[in-house]
Amino acid sequence: MKESSLSMTWRMILLAFLLPPLLIVALDITFYGAFNGVDSSVSFTRFANATLTAYTLCSLFLLGNLFFYGESRNRPLAPLVGMVVATLLGIVATAFFIGQGPMLLEDNGSVQAQGIYNIVHMFVSSGAILMAVCVALGVTFSAITSQKLRSDFDLEEE
Amino acid sequence: MNIQGFHYAMDEMLQALLLFWIPIAMVPLGLWLSMSSASKSTTAYGKYLAFLGIIMICLSPWTVPSSPSSAAGHLLGAIIGPCMLIIIGIYLISFSGNVPVGKLPRSDRRLGVLMSGAGFVWLAGMHWWILTPQLSPDEVNPYWYVFWPTFILLTSCLASCSAVTLLTIGDRRRTESNAMFVVSGLSMAILLLGLNIDGPLVQADEFREHLWLAVADMAGIAVGSLLSILVFAFVIYSYERSLPSPKAIEPPTSSELDQVSTLLQAHLGGEEE
Repeated sequence: MKESSLSMTWRMILLAFLLPPLLIVALDITFYGAFNGVDSSVSFTRFANATLTAYTLCSLFLLGNLFFYGESRNRPLAPLVGMVVATLLGIVATAFFIGQGPMLLEDNGSVQAQGIYNIVHMFVSSGAILMAVCVALGVTFSAITSQKLRSDFDLEEE
Repeated sequence: MNIQGFHYAMDEMLQALLLFWIPIAMVPLGLWLSMSSASKSTTAYGKYLAFLGIIMICLSPWTVPSSPSSAAGHLLGAIIGPCMLIIIGIYLISFSGNVPVGKLPRSDRRLGVLMSGAGFVWLAGMHWWILTPQLSPDEVNPYWYVFWPTFILLTSCLASCSAVTLLTIGDRRRTESNAMFVVSGLSMAILLLGLNIDGPLVQADEFREHLWLAVADMAGIAVGSLLSILVFAFVIYSYERSLPSPKAIEPPTSSELDQVSTLLQAHLGGEEE
């Protein structure tokens, strides 16, 4: 595939991914004349909390993966220390930014409560994401397997 | 569903740690043990550990009612039924089709469609009927507002993405692509209905507000995860670059080459069929 055509394909796939939310925005603007239901400060708070929590939890997960990486490298300490520092940075940054005041505190009264809420919220969101991925992949697979079997002979004839 | 907890003489924090957070940790630990271990007993132990963790999380609204986090356990208990129906249904549909291995009887296809449909109807009934997960009468589980918009929106996005991928990269996949467009369209229709039609407990305005919070949430998760992966790649790259280059070895001597050619001669060829 030519490079320009490949880049066009990627753009189309990305656009297809973004199409449903864009369609909702377009319908909102068409029928209500405005983009309804968005409180930008609340959305920003949620975005920032999700970013910090995802960074920290994902770093912890990748830190666990270094265990397998270390098996093939005589257990080096340097990357382990690097990743521990990166994870600690995430924890400290989360505590620091939540502690700054109401900016990142949602309906919780303390840094600890907000931190715990963020983790539980992340589990629920991840569950929803995992379920959506399962459904999309599963339906794609079942759509493919429901078609007639293609033989290599047919392909060779073409 | 009204939740009335058991009462113990235990500190609330300790109670939450023992009956909610440790079971949460048991799930990934159990899955890791079941997938990474070569021994059958450890694999089985890992599976039991993960299963026990899930059961304990589902029971957390009764065992740790004082912890607000146990609402997530309540949600898990409420959605595990329809989610399992959908997953098992999709599995039955997929493997009753043209697959080279593990093919199921053709009749399982209808059962699969029925199960997936029932799962989706059950989830929709949680929005527009009396099945909404409630912590107490008329108090909707707050995590339901996180799960439902995220799931429906992302399903629509991924199905649309998959449809275009099948069209652009796949070879003669128009029929499959159309099926994915239908799935994306159905999810989109559910979203639009949710944005405009009130349920008995979930109002359209509330759903709209939580839909955009779900978008912010997913964007945040994507940015945070990407940042973490970049940091991980940087740490590995820095370490690998600091390693000395491997020592060069001497080229083989003529006697070694002779030995290799003798061995090759002895192993070349094969029995005539």
